[in-house]
Amino acid sequence: MSLFDKPFDRRTMLSGSATVLGAAAASSLPFGNAFAAGFPDGAISVTVPTRAGGGADRNLRAFTGVWKKYLDATFKPDFKPGASGRVGYEFYMGKKKRDGHNLLFGNMGPEFLNWIVKMPTFPLEDLTYFARVDTDPGAIFVRADSPFKTIDDVVAAGKKRTLNVSTSRLAHPASVGLLALGEHTGAKFNLIPLSGGKNTIAGVVTGEMDLGTLTSGSVAAKGKALRTLLVFNDENVAADRLNNAPTMNQHFGTSLPPLLSSRAFAIHTSVIKDHPDRFKILNDTLKKVFDDPEYKAAVIKAKGIWEYINYGDMNDTAKYLKGIKEVGLRFKPLLTGKPS
Amino acid sequence: MEFCEVDVSIQMFAELFVHTLGFWWIILPAMLLGLIVGAIPGFSAANTIIILLPLTFAMEVEQGIVFMVALYASSRMGAGIPAILVNIPGTAGAAATPLDGYPMARAGLGQQALAMSFVASTAGGLLTTIIALIAMPWLAQVAFFMHSVEMIVVMLFGISLIATIAAKNTLKGLIAGLLGLMIGAVGTDFVYETPRATFGFLELYDGIPLVPALVGLFAVSEAFLVIEGESILTRRGKELMANPSWQATFEGVRMCAKRWWHVIWCSLIGLVIGVIPGAGASIASFVAYQQSRSFSKTPELYGTGHPEGLIAPESANNGVTSGTLVPLMVIGLPGGATAAIMLVVLEFHGVNFGPQLFSEQPEIGFGIFMAMAVTYLLMIFTILPLSRYMTKVTIVSTAFMAPVIISFTLVGSFVPREFGFDMGLALGFGVLGYIARRTNYHVAAILIGIILGPLLEGFFLRAIRMANGDLGVLFSSNIGNALWVALVVTVALPYLLDYLRKRRRQQKTM
Repeated sequence: MSLFDKPFDRRTMLSGSATVLGAAAASSLPFGNAFAAGFPDGAISVTVPTRAGGGADRNLRAFTGVWKKYLDATFKPDFKPGASGRVGYEFYMGKKKRDGHNLLFGNMGPEFLNWIVKMPTFPLEDLTYFARVDTDPGAIFVRADSPFKTIDDVVAAGKKRTLNVSTSRLAHPASVGLLALGEHTGAKFNLIPLSGGKNTIAGVVTGEMDLGTLTSGSVAAKGKALRTLLVFNDENVAADRLNNAPTMNQHFGTSLPPLLSSRAFAIHTSVIKDHPDRFKILNDTLKKVFDDPEYKAAVIKAKGIWEYINYGDMNDTAKYLKGIKEVGLRFKPLLTGKPS
Repeated sequence: MEFCEVDVSIQMFAELFVHTLGFWWIILPAMLLGLIVGAIPGFSAANTIIILLPLTFAMEVEQGIVFMVALYASSRMGAGIPAILVNIPGTAGAAATPLDGYPMARAGLGQQALAMSFVASTAGGLLTTIIALIAMPWLAQVAFFMHSVEMIVVMLFGISLIATIAAKNTLKGLIAGLLGLMIGAVGTDFVYETPRATFGFLELYDGIPLVPALVGLFAVSEAFLVIEGESILTRRGKELMANPSWQATFEGVRMCAKRWWHVIWCSLIGLVIGVIPGAGASIASFVAYQQSRSFSKTPELYGTGHPEGLIAPESANNGVTSGTLVPLMVIGLPGGATAAIMLVVLEFHGVNFGPQLFSEQPEIGFGIFMAMAVTYLLMIFTILPLSRYMTKVTIVSTAFMAPVIISFTLVGSFVPREFGFDMGLALGFGVLGYIARRTNYHVAAILIGIILGPLLEGFFLRAIRMANGDLGVLFSSNIGNALWVALVVTVALPYLLDYLRKRRRQQKTM
């Protein structure tokens, strides 16, 4: 009996499907790696724990668009959004090869706060943020035609009634800033997580929320539609684009650490130890991007704030994470909804 | 509004039309690409534009807009083709299309069904594009009034379809709907992001991915079923398909034209839902289907290959396409995922959104809608004649069809997130769908729960959290209350009409 004479049942169909799939998968295997020499010998895959089309995507494209000149390699973004970045990090740590060809481009502040709320499955020391790209402070903002003209108006209203505040997610530096403001002034705020910057802004623009708290870079990108009332940094370095809003520490005399979203490249710690030559190439070429006028032009074209572009090495990122950890632990009960 | 400052005239629109028509060399390939990616499950306009971002960045801004809009509009139409012919909705927006489209195809009326789908999509898309062009400033205001409370009621319009399905077999319908809602609750919660029912699977943290659920429940289970026969066509269907003719296409056009009011009404539902940020084509399709059935004189025919049951979702999901662009252009808020990607491209080109866009760069502000109108016009002339040939898919033997469906859908499940896990999930849903069909549980009820359940939960939790736990918030807005009344009326209406009809019949026989 030939193959074609066999009765066609469900089992035959499934095995046929598996063969088709197997062939399709085999045809897409990366054979290129076997022939290359030196580093990098293929594209650099960058895991991004947020959706394509968001702020991280824009920053990454602007950066890698220039970095590829110095590294002589192409970059392949691999978007793995979900659960406030948890999916992307776990995917990177669990499934990506540790050979220097795989990086992660994360937002250190919100994502590290996430670990304070619930630890990931991997040891934190297995991941190293080796290069900070920007420091984007959190801000409080309202709609352009809001009755709240200053942060004092917000505080006064918050003492009379609970104000609804949109935020990207609870475990976010900007959310922590708002909680600190409430704690300091006695104003009552109700944080409403809306999953992402665009939704946070939409909540305010459509009038559903009284105000919002988000990274100031995203607020500034919306131009005249929004008004910034407060910035969570030591100094408002982009005052001209943020309605000359005061900083929390200046205005209220607090000593809050800068509450920044800070995008950074991370790598498996073992790569730094096992492939120091590869890591050196990555690090050295990356640094060159910050001095390249092409990068500055790309940032400005994408409506970014150049003053926020701010290189930091491993020591800087470690220092930043220590600060975020302290603030996060202070507000952990509010971020998790579980009283300590 | 500042729109009044723009010198809007018929002559301006005529010039813009001719100008946009000059981009035919971009529109045609983008249209073809859109139809293909729309028809392949897992691909969509959004992820195709993402893949092609370097190309759109490199293009002139106007060319980039025309390319993206043509791709977006045509992908929506493309998603309906496999939904009708082989029960594979290419996207969540086409999830309601196979409910009546596929039974038509099985009955040998695939050509009519495709023609109806193309005409309903084109007419719905074109009409809502023209309305959006004229009424943009007022339409954008919808977003300011549709908040969480109102959206809860809109979701319930769609979810009430479960009750409609349950009407045939109350217990089984409700069990299927509840199962869908429970599956939809898998993933991290909306406020504190605590994982629920993920069983430690990282791939489930972000909830049940839609494409594997969609293709598993519909397509894979269908493949398991059809393999038991030689053809997906019924006996009568085979007879009809034995002598294909152009007449069937014209009949489809005529069937749709005869229901012109239905097209207008359902596409307007799509337009309004599209304008609301966070809503989308899947919601619009189900709501339009539910509304269509509620006011139909023949509600019992829905789900059996009723033309109105096909026209409703197809008109609505194309109405959404123009709707999502309204808040994007007027207030800089994208109405959906594809509009969000367009925002990235347009911002890259330095486009400033808001009313000033229409006075400063009318070729972009109005041009984006004109590009959509021109795409729809070109599309109907190019795709309608193809319906006769596309329908031939239905005569392919199931021995070949079933493995191809499974292979394609599994690859399609993999594409959006690139997790092998999603292919297993699609197979799992396929088995679930197969068991459900074999035991007369309606897979559509399960799917409605999976798609709309998480959205309903999100809006509900937001509203309740804003009101500090006070359930009275659900009845706190005038628009919301009006929607509640409309919901009760539309859910009760079929039962009421049915009762009146029976009573009238009884009176006649007496």
